[in-house]
Amino acid sequence: MRVIRTGAAVAAALTLAVTAAACTSSSGSSNGSSGTQATGTPESGGTVTMQWIGGYPNFIFPLMPATNTDGYNENLQEPMWPMLVYSGDRGQSIVNPDESLYSAMSWTNNDQTITITLKPWKWSDGTPITSRDFLFTYNLIESMGQNWSGYLPGLFPGDVKSVQAPSASTIVINLTRSYNPVFYTDNVLSAIPLLPQHAWDKESAAGPVGDYDETAAGAKAVVNFLQKEGSDIATFTTNPLWQVVDGPWKLAQFTSSGTYAFAPNKNYSGPDKPHIAEMIDAQYTTADSAFNALRAGDVTIGTVPDDDYNQIPYLKSAGYSIQVLQVAAVAGIYPNWYAPDGVGALLQQLYVRQAMEDLINRPQIVQQIYHGYADPGNGPVSMNYTTLTTPLEKAGGPYPYNPGKAVAVLKANGWQVNPGGVSTCVKPGTGSGECGAGIAAGAKLAFTLEYSAGDPDVDEMEAAIQTWEEQAGIKLTLKSEPFNTLVGTVGVCNAQSHPASSCGWQLVDFGYEPYGLYPAGSGDFNTDGLDNQGGYSNPEMDSLINQTEYSGNPAAFATYENFAADQLPQLYLPDPDYINAYKSDLVGVQPSNPFSADNDPEVWYFTK
Amino acid sequence: MTAYLIRRIGQAVGVVIGVMILTFILIHMEPGSVARSILGIRATASRVAIFNATYGLDQPLYKQFWNYTDQVFHGNLGTSYYQQQPVSTLFAQRLPRDIFLLGTSTVIALVISVPMGVYQAVRRNGIADNLLTSTTFTLYTMPTFFFAMLLVSLFAVQLHWLPPEAPQTTSVAGMLADPKALLLPELTLVLTQIAGFSRYMRSSAIDTLAQEYLKVCRAKGLGERLVLWRHVLRNSFLPIVTIVGLSVPGLVGGAIIVEDIFNYQGMGLLFYQAALQHDFPILLGATLLGGVLTVIGNLAADIAYGILDPRVRYVGK
Repeated sequence: MRVIRTGAAVAAALTLAVTAAACTSSSGSSNGSSGTQATGTPESGGTVTMQWIGGYPNFIFPLMPATNTDGYNENLQEPMWPMLVYSGDRGQSIVNPDESLYSAMSWTNNDQTITITLKPWKWSDGTPITSRDFLFTYNLIESMGQNWSGYLPGLFPGDVKSVQAPSASTIVINLTRSYNPVFYTDNVLSAIPLLPQHAWDKESAAGPVGDYDETAAGAKAVVNFLQKEGSDIATFTTNPLWQVVDGPWKLAQFTSSGTYAFAPNKNYSGPDKPHIAEMIDAQYTTADSAFNALRAGDVTIGTVPDDDYNQIPYLKSAGYSIQVLQVAAVAGIYPNWYAPDGVGALLQQLYVRQAMEDLINRPQIVQQIYHGYADPGNGPVSMNYTTLTTPLEKAGGPYPYNPGKAVAVLKANGWQVNPGGVSTCVKPGTGSGECGAGIAAGAKLAFTLEYSAGDPDVDEMEAAIQTWEEQAGIKLTLKSEPFNTLVGTVGVCNAQSHPASSCGWQLVDFGYEPYGLYPAGSGDFNTDGLDNQGGYSNPEMDSLINQTEYSGNPAAFATYENFAADQLPQLYLPDPDYINAYKSDLVGVQPSNPFSADNDPEVWYFTK
Repeated sequence: MTAYLIRRIGQAVGVVIGVMILTFILIHMEPGSVARSILGIRATASRVAIFNATYGLDQPLYKQFWNYTDQVFHGNLGTSYYQQQPVSTLFAQRLPRDIFLLGTSTVIALVISVPMGVYQAVRRNGIADNLLTSTTFTLYTMPTFFFAMLLVSLFAVQLHWLPPEAPQTTSVAGMLADPKALLLPELTLVLTQIAGFSRYMRSSAIDTLAQEYLKVCRAKGLGERLVLWRHVLRNSFLPIVTIVGLSVPGLVGGAIIVEDIFNYQGMGLLFYQAALQHDFPILLGATLLGGVLTVIGNLAADIAYGILDPRVRYVGK
């Protein structure tokens, strides 16, 4: 199973409607998750064993150094120290008001000042959760600077002018600029946990707890101490530091093989108190061994590999139900605007990208390759953002499969189209009906598409795309490499830097990129975005993305989304769901939280 | 003998240092950015810089090698880029498991296949020999992956007699406490090894049985049982010693297929995943360990030759 909680500035919560109405959000219901409720009578107790494949946590302290890239850590940390803003409410891409740590949030001073009221919750040792805990967290993060795994240039804490705690339950954050409250709440505050100052503000195991975090040097010393303790796997369970939690779970066991178990935090203040007695996260070396255990009935919830969807009837007959785990992400193929030998000039032409997208039969990929379990990839926002996807995307996007249109658009722009062969530019120039800037006569529509090896479905999809593109004489040469090799050799290329050593690539498919709760496109499609691998740059796109981040205009997002769908900064592809099988007597698994890979087990229970 | 050992150990040190240098150079010739391959496509320039500084990757290659050599001679194999744990800790968790699994399965396979090979040689082309030959050929040609999956499907999924996984503890004692969970991985390795060993043993025993000195033994009135166990078995065993000696470095490679199918955290998958993830410290450490074990395995085989075959004499220079 892949890790969905990621380390970057991912996820958060709040619907557009809530914030647009008053720039204020507050916790809603008080009797359990506000999304779709589980059915049946809860039975207390029982053990759930959930499979994890190919990796395990190695760091328990929630503030990880920049060098730690183990995404599994968040699966260990967040059930014990949830974020201030909790992303995903059952199956919905919204803030979970019940599990979030704040009861109200208001934006004032031209959206530069945030006033947060904390819920009257307590740490597991009975100490109240207060604004001092937020100050402590802020001080530690600030002391880490760029060596914090969650660091993103320009964002928290670099954009914080000051933080105050006027009362034990109130936090006031003054920012250096105005933000769109939805963006900031959903994508920034959702990455900030609260840490127990009363237990963790110390510089050594034997030393006393103090206010060390209030000086820069003291904060660094505290971070150094906590990171040292937090990386010692052998003491994860026994170290008293990690027994002070504010989430629904406490760590009960952690083995050197990476399997660990949670027990309920009996003093959890939230409404979603765990029903099950033990939650085991069991590690499996590979998908093969995990699926064997699932078929043998040895686990409560586990992954069905996409190659084994034909086993779903067997699993159902063996007492399992099927969970569809949708991923909040965007998938696609990055073009390299700065690819050498004139290829970049070809890919910079919108009509070339349009023709290529017209030739990708996305519905067929969803049905034939992903067996119906995938987001269609109609644009930059996946369908599970039900309140954000525009009618254009819902209707199939601006470029539904249409080979005839692809051929026509190429012919209209000076190309001699050779279906099954390679199309060539016959009308060079920059005028109407000509191939475009930097494209010489005789230039060929031939590209190399690099992608991550190891997944037969992806092999099949890329081969299908290769075949479809041939219909308009667009020749793709496929090249698969291990994911880490691909990432290491395909460099970021843009106007400022496109060295030949790492910018020789033309098209690359890394898979999917996870989104935060507010999929604003910053990072993906803006000129200096971290995910903007191929150097796409469009002032209008930058402006629209800026509006989604910095203005409170609720219409800005839809405008951005439609523009990004139309302009094809990447060729959009379907994004496959993940399929889990879970014991049918376990209730609450569906619908799954798109932002939580372990699906919030505090709402699960067994029935008789 | 002592001079011979000293010379071989000297050679071994040279070989290990050579392996270290070659591996270090080859790994660092890998194209692309290590930092980016570990940190991912969202890695900021500052994060890449922190990573390179943390692991010394911002220094010239010769200095990196010097630092690595220095830390190795101080017993430090470095820290895994991806798992963020000392490489020696990761090896210490996995190597004993592989030694146990591969060691016991090899011993069991030898105990079965050696007499079986001799028996087949004596009963050459008889019904029993043909039956065993067919069986061992079937096992030999069957991919281990497929064979392991068959065992799991039958005994774990269909019959529910045995668990589909190996024991999950990292201690050998813990594994012995769960013998049922050991059965399927052991069975997979034993049966696939028996196939190879018994074929070698059979061929070797057939050659031995044709030797003139056996006629002398029999002419001197030695019983057939003594001829077989004292002379045929001992002399036929030499090729097996070579095979077993060469398999010692395989401990570092682990039993990757068994690890894959039976959820067994061993050296094989650790090395494989490190190779995919560009986790250089693990790759370097495993290769170094593999070099050391290769040398030890060969040395042990050479010494065993001398014990088994009195004609072999050690020469110190």
